[in-house]
Amino acid sequence: MALTALPRTLPRSRPSLGRVLLFGGLFGYFLLPMVAVVLYSFATRWTANILPDGYTLDWWISAVTDSAVREAFGTTLILATLTALLDIVLVVPAAYWSRVRNRRIRTFIEVSAAIPFALPYIVIAFGLLQFAGIVTPGIQGTFPLLLLGHTAIAFPFMYWAVDGAMSAAGIERLSEAAEACGASPYQIIRRVVLPNIVPGIVSGALLSFATSFGEFAMVQTLARGVYTIPIWSAGEIRSYSGDAGAFNRLAAVTVVSFLVLFVLSGIVVYRNRGQIVRLLPSVANSEGRPTA
Amino acid sequence: MTAVSLRGVTKQYGTVHALDNISLDIASGELLALLGPSGCGKTTLLRSVAGLVHPDSGAIEIGGRDVSGVATRERPIGMVFQSYALFPNMTVRENIAFPLSVRRRPEAEIRRRVDDLLDLVRLVPQADRYPNEISGGQAQRCALGRALAPAPDVLLLDEPLSALDALVRGRLRDEIRRVQQLVKTTALYVTHDQSEAMAIADRVAVMNHGRIEQLAVPAELYEEPSTSFAATFVGSRNAVELAVVDGRIALAEAFSVPAPVGAAERAIAFFRPEDVTVAAGPGAKGQPATVELKVYLGATTKMHLAIPVEGGTARLYADLPSRDAASIDQGAEVRIVVDPAHIRAFPVPD
Repeated sequence: MALTALPRTLPRSRPSLGRVLLFGGLFGYFLLPMVAVVLYSFATRWTANILPDGYTLDWWISAVTDSAVREAFGTTLILATLTALLDIVLVVPAAYWSRVRNRRIRTFIEVSAAIPFALPYIVIAFGLLQFAGIVTPGIQGTFPLLLLGHTAIAFPFMYWAVDGAMSAAGIERLSEAAEACGASPYQIIRRVVLPNIVPGIVSGALLSFATSFGEFAMVQTLARGVYTIPIWSAGEIRSYSGDAGAFNRLAAVTVVSFLVLFVLSGIVVYRNRGQIVRLLPSVANSEGRPTA
Repeated sequence: MTAVSLRGVTKQYGTVHALDNISLDIASGELLALLGPSGCGKTTLLRSVAGLVHPDSGAIEIGGRDVSGVATRERPIGMVFQSYALFPNMTVRENIAFPLSVRRRPEAEIRRRVDDLLDLVRLVPQADRYPNEISGGQAQRCALGRALAPAPDVLLLDEPLSALDALVRGRLRDEIRRVQQLVKTTALYVTHDQSEAMAIADRVAVMNHGRIEQLAVPAELYEEPSTSFAATFVGSRNAVELAVVDGRIALAEAFSVPAPVGAAERAIAFFRPEDVTVAAGPGAKGQPATVELKVYLGATTKMHLAIPVEGGTARLYADLPSRDAASIDQGAEVRIVVDPAHIRAFPVPD
């Protein structure tokens, strides 16, 4: 009786005023600064009014045609792409090994994954600079060292995404089955592991990309000659001497950077629709242990 | 001819003996079941043959070749897992072809062989489906086909039916047996289910604490368990602990048999519920007992019997044909006798 009386789905309640205010407030809090930046990039002048005095495409045209901006944008894209790729190459085999061959190295990897959050990037950057000075003085202050630095700070995102995907796919079992089928470690990774963790690799790559894309402190410290969008932006602010449109151009570039990252985040969310996005290390990783 | 041979295989996890000096020969074409409770070492033994566990000592031979230093992927084995472990990114056909394609067999040969195997495990209609599009029983048949694809010297099955529901389980069990006999492959089959082991195996090895307690054909195991553990684990037996008096053990007037060798003070007697004769009425002979509960099971009826003995009440089960049980009511006073020929007794360890 009581059971059959239960509705199949919970009825959708009418949005209450409090809820509208809460979500409206949050929306405004996140969106307003962005809207302001977009408006500013199109504004001729913006004085005491709530909206700009007039609109123009001049700043956008001058930003897009500025060779320094284009070069910085290209460098940033290359750096972020290489960071994501290097993280894939390094993390996927390590995560596989830590699950299937030697679970003891998991502790080491998980502690390493906390470091980029525990230490400021600037501290990590100086550490790397010192270390490179001792071990490989040749790459001090160069793009390769910067790439390694970004790979290091972005790797936790790759690791968590890939490890979560491996857990979801039951990689230990599949790997064992493939081994019993006669597959070599290379065949196992290429034909069994990789195809079953693609969502994790894509999520991890996008997050690594985003981490590198907006990073400032390491670029500044590790590679003086490398000119990325954050470096360019900082330079614009620092060298401001009252010339018209400098900040509007900056706003235009900021909008572009934001759009790149926004679209990438959108792809991550869309790819993981219907499932929980697993970026944090899972608590229960106990499957795949023999009981008898 | 011996297909798989184990000599003194030992494996220790900390202080626990997972495998305690196991020696075992599996004949060619034989299906041998490893039966025991969880933690008895049966899975460790199977995984040792697969090379997924490395024994501390002892030798394992497959097809006359010592495989001790041989990696899993080089061993002539096929394996079926409890969790199916099919590759989700491959169709049924591709799963079965996998062991052949990693061995880089010619395309035409793979296609021919996979067609045969699909036919053998009756998955032709499902050949192009993905693992998440087929049922559990079909998935395990696919896993069986994949394990058999490279024509292994030994097929290793690790509780292959445990993830399935009861109805599918019985059918797939017979299916595995049919296929195994058809291709005449040697098989090692791990299970904790005694009826499954007896239904499918040529011989059953009962394992406990890393040792093989008894290795026998199913009928022998059922009729003549050689250890107390085997008697408990196989068949649902009555177990009564009794004092040894004048070299004999007796349950009042129900039975009296000679005490087992080595039993100084106490012994434990095992007998099956169907070997208990229950009679009612004035002319009946034997030990008086009370029917506490009568459970109708269709062809047979199970009676829970209480027998007053010194210091308390002994409780036994008796299985009767339901026709004979009809005249005996719950709560009735009856007399019981157990045929001494069907009693197995073992000393009680101190």
